[in-house]
Amino acid sequence: MYGGGNVFEATKFDDLQAEDPVKLAEFEARIAGGEKIEPTDWMPELYRKQLIRMIEQHAHSEIIGALPEGTWITRAPGFRRKMAQMAKVQDEVGHAQLLYSAAETLGKSREQMLTDLINGKSKYSNVFNYPAFTWADSNIISWLIDAGAIVNQMANAKGSYGPYARALERICAEEAFHLKYGHDAVVHMATGTPTQRAMIQAALNRWWGPIMTFFGPSDKMSTHTETLMRWKVKMASNDECRQQFLDMYVPKIWELGLTVPDPKLKKNPETGQWEYTEPDWEEFKRVINGDGPCNAERLAVRRTAEERGAWVRRALLNPKAQYVRPLA
Amino acid sequence: MYLQSLDPRVTRLHLPEGDMPPMEAKPALDQFETYEAFHQKKEGAAHTYVGPVHAPNEEVAFLFAKEQYSRRFPCVGLWVVRTAHIQVTPYAGDSENIYDMLRIEAPAEPSAEAVPYEIFHLKKRGKAHTHAGRVLATSYQEALQEARKAFGDKGPIVNVWIVKSKDVLQSAEEDKDMWTTIPEKKYRDAIAYKVMDKITKFKEEQKNNIAP
Amino acid sequence: MNELAIKDLLYKLADDQLILGHRNSEWTGFGPILEEDIAFSSMAQDKIGHSLAFYTLLHELGEADPDTVAFTRNANRFHNSQLVELPNGEYDFSLIRHFLYDNAEIIRFEMLSASRYEPIAKVATKLKGEVKYHVLHANTWIKNLGSSTEEAILRLQAALNEAMPYALGMFEPSAYEQELISEGVYGGEEAVKAEWLQRITAVLEKTALQLPDLDSITPKVGGRKGTHTEHLQPLLDEMAEVFKIDPTAEW
Repeated sequence: MYGGGNVFEATKFDDLQAEDPVKLAEFEARIAGGEKIEPTDWMPELYRKQLIRMIEQHAHSEIIGALPEGTWITRAPGFRRKMAQMAKVQDEVGHAQLLYSAAETLGKSREQMLTDLINGKSKYSNVFNYPAFTWADSNIISWLIDAGAIVNQMANAKGSYGPYARALERICAEEAFHLKYGHDAVVHMATGTPTQRAMIQAALNRWWGPIMTFFGPSDKMSTHTETLMRWKVKMASNDECRQQFLDMYVPKIWELGLTVPDPKLKKNPETGQWEYTEPDWEEFKRVINGDGPCNAERLAVRRTAEERGAWVRRALLNPKAQYVRPLA
Repeated sequence: MYLQSLDPRVTRLHLPEGDMPPMEAKPALDQFETYEAFHQKKEGAAHTYVGPVHAPNEEVAFLFAKEQYSRRFPCVGLWVVRTAHIQVTPYAGDSENIYDMLRIEAPAEPSAEAVPYEIFHLKKRGKAHTHAGRVLATSYQEALQEARKAFGDKGPIVNVWIVKSKDVLQSAEEDKDMWTTIPEKKYRDAIAYKVMDKITKFKEEQKNNIAP
Repeated sequence: MNELAIKDLLYKLADDQLILGHRNSEWTGFGPILEEDIAFSSMAQDKIGHSLAFYTLLHELGEADPDTVAFTRNANRFHNSQLVELPNGEYDFSLIRHFLYDNAEIIRFEMLSASRYEPIAKVATKLKGEVKYHVLHANTWIKNLGSSTEEAILRLQAALNEAMPYALGMFEPSAYEQELISEGVYGGEEAVKAEWLQRITAVLEKTALQLPDLDSITPKVGGRKGTHTEHLQPLLDEMAEVFKIDPTAEW
């Protein structure tokens, strides 16, 4: 699961001055013509760098994203939920693997990416720095965070880089089950006993803030991304994604008799745009930079998994091995 | 004392509380080499590229590929190849044929024995390589030449991968039962979740002001 | 067919699979490398699925529905071996347990596929391919790690020594053992154990690991009769924590 919370570096025109103009023109023509870029094609350094960053952050979001729902993996109620929860959390690890592989084709090793994640150098989707207090929280995540991720992924699947597009296609196929599962679980609680209804409403109240920041800062705050849009690295603006999400899911929330903790939330009948209370972007910045309720724990868990598994990896290492980048 | 988490599994890990110094950078090959995996969706279909796995050797790579690439979408065959064993051509544009754009002059190596090579083609950028066929050759270059003769005119062909057949670990006939129960795992199927009845019933109750 | 004998067998199978699947699901997201994390999680799901299949057979014989049976019994009514309820420890212990357990499980499944009791034969035949894969995974890992570094060998040997008394407890005979054998339900635990010993020895011979001297080990029995370690009740409490908020609710 991935939200557009990453901030792209401002693209300075100077970055492109150093590139071969003929090759750059060919590269841009290929993208404009709707063709994908593949790993051994010539590409501007800025394209390579921004893609690595974006795909890497998406991969980190998946492996860290396994932790809030993982909180409830041993406590899922009943066989149906137990098996589905296990499959869903497993999928997140699987998606991380697919995405790290795509980023590797661009030249960054998985060793480096994992090191950067654990040492706080690379970011991941901010929403996973919040705690899943109850089973209901896990269900809200499974439904609405996955829904948000799907909005992002479907846009990015049309992006220009072949390996990323292929990985996203695979991921989208598996996400369909996640969304249905999450919605099913929320519906059962919302239409269930009074205790269940209260639990799911409380969870929604807790998670609405993080959900609203899932797609990243509003467009008016974002740095210039025209080049990245021309190169089909960034496919849709943060606000466009947010609007699409609200349009698709707020009615589904309301039809269950659940309320959203934002009195301003409504769709303007004239503009067709959703109006809402502007999220707290200062909090977003604080949390994404390390000062959230779960940041320390998320990274500590990831680090411990790596460190305690080191003896296994060391044991199987073939000293004659020589790493080459995966092909596609 | 150790970190108390909302996740009882994490509490059981006994993580230290408080700040830790940065982790040392992972050494090279901590994550092993990669192997490329190809699956065969149905009997008689060509093997298609599905993605890489990191693994310490071929045997483990096979297990990993089976999990990562066929746990959800079953297949009837699986091949894995160490990435380093695959040679690749440059990429052509979508409407071109890479064979026409390469100078392939490869006389047979007199000292080498002719062995089989597997050839994979990419038909369009963004899609996946599929198995085109097998040729006999004494070198990768000669294999490419033979491939052009055998399969090179069914364009467009954007990219070619060449690998020695002996470097391909193939699933066996008796392995097929690994995949037979996969379509029955409904708990992972989107279509198995049908909530419309519940929602409709709920809406009815709300309309009639009956507490659910 | 003695129904009590069949039910005893089914509870044993299903409880083992449920508890082990539950334990193995604790590794999801924490594995030593991503690809192995994914593999181990698949096997955990399979185990839970297997337990569900056998609890379903029990339900058809008049026991409560699978959710009730799995999520509301206390430890003294569970028939799993003590081996599967032990905490995961590190990956060495979990892999050794996986190796010891699955090499026994596949033999039971092979026998049960040919059982004269048809409902079990059907389920076992269908699911045998999955267990075959679990064994392949376990054997591959033990062979690879068991002949690698000194560190890995020492760890695995220690885990093997620790697990063996509990592994032998898997073969604790049922009160209905003779009947199950004579009715052709399956070959019985003695036969499973004999075959198991051959198979694990064959794998261990390819490594630097030593099979502990079984004659000097007292098997940890009791699990099949409801006597468990201090680990099972907390496991069950955790598993049922949400379910018990309201066992009559639909989740």
